[in-house]
Amino acid sequence: MAGLELLSDQGYRLDGRKATELRKVQARMSVFAQADGSAYLEQGNTKALAVVYGPHEIRGSRSKSLHDRAIINCQYSMATFSTAERKRRPHGDRKSSEMSLHLKQTFEAAVLTELYPRSQIDIYVKILQADGGNYSACVNAATLALVDAGIPMRDYVCACSAGFVEDTPLADLCHAEESGGGTALALALLPRSGNIALLQMDARLHQDHLDTLMEAAMTACKEFSKVLDSVVRQHLEEVSDLTRD
Amino acid sequence: MSPMKLCVPGERLCSTEDCIPGTGTYLRHGYIFASLAGYVLRKNEGEELPVISVVRETEAQLLPDVGAIVTCKVTSINPRFAKVHILYVGSTPLKDRFRGTIRREDVRATEKDKVETYKSFRPGDIVLAKVISLGDVQSNYLLTTAENELGVVVAHSEAGAQMVPVSWCEMQCPRTHSKEFRKVARVQPEYLQA
Repeated sequence: MAGLELLSDQGYRLDGRKATELRKVQARMSVFAQADGSAYLEQGNTKALAVVYGPHEIRGSRSKSLHDRAIINCQYSMATFSTAERKRRPHGDRKSSEMSLHLKQTFEAAVLTELYPRSQIDIYVKILQADGGNYSACVNAATLALVDAGIPMRDYVCACSAGFVEDTPLADLCHAEESGGGTALALALLPRSGNIALLQMDARLHQDHLDTLMEAAMTACKEFSKVLDSVVRQHLEEVSDLTRD
Repeated sequence: MSPMKLCVPGERLCSTEDCIPGTGTYLRHGYIFASLAGYVLRKNEGEELPVISVVRETEAQLLPDVGAIVTCKVTSINPRFAKVHILYVGSTPLKDRFRGTIRREDVRATEKDKVETYKSFRPGDIVLAKVISLGDVQSNYLLTTAENELGVVVAHSEAGAQMVPVSWCEMQCPRTHSKEFRKVARVQPEYLQA
């Protein structure tokens, strides 16, 4: 490309990262007292807020209740100020409806829903600032919120995006890399068992490169699980310190 | 009890040959994994293998289960059933109210065909009941008061005062001395403190 060079000759990216390096991740749990579980997560300049309510009784139409397990209700929205140009419609458009469905499928694979028959678990995720990797920030924030709510899960769900530029896989794409015309793959993984909860890819990629790209994304997801693990353990120790006093 | 050890969801705790899975864990491929973030608890209860479970500092939301004793408030009555809101499961308050139904046939164990709902409950009464079913699509939890220890524990008279139970089917207002019909619970001593 003439204008933008996503990967320099020395192997550095636009923001100075190596090809497989993640952006800085910061997270906090229990940011809201009203919700059963809540979490705030930053992945570089992408900021996501997740709240979880439930398990509680089915609200709305009761015909969709399942007699053997809970239903998961997800809503994804972006703040109007989260992008470079102000969004007119924070949620309900086609992209956020698709993203809500992706989140629902992801957490149906991870949450032990059969422990709560005929009930409902609500997950609301909001992007406060968008800089690429919105889906992975939402999944990671919602995972922390579910752990905070005490909902039993098989494992953390860690998500990461990956790209492919000049025969090199890139992990954790930022906005410039996502819109630079290359491949963008989003993967949600249960890291200990290695099960893939969701896989999505845009743009063209030769079949020979898919294994390399997925391997890079899975490696990045496992790195993310270490970060989430340390956040959860630190939160547990803080809570036990508070209750001990 | 072994010393406290933190665990996170997905962490492998032990094999099924060493432990029996308890709450907060799940089983897969012969191993026991944690499903909650909390502390590992290993308890020997006389059996060969200890029971391993994961406990949390803050209690998660409870769901009423079949056989649980719940405390509920009557919201509406009609000749066939009484609708209630479940407020407590055991002694744990619920954040969200769950809706339940006490059918006319489940009010007491004897003389089921002579039960009158208006002489058993009134809207606003606090009732102890037991869950007998999770219900179907139309109605939610099915509850029963067909035991001596179940029934109305707190009721207010038309004058607004809290009534005193005088027999298994009557309550009396301490102010006006008028008697009203209720399905009265023989309240256990441990519930009197609540």
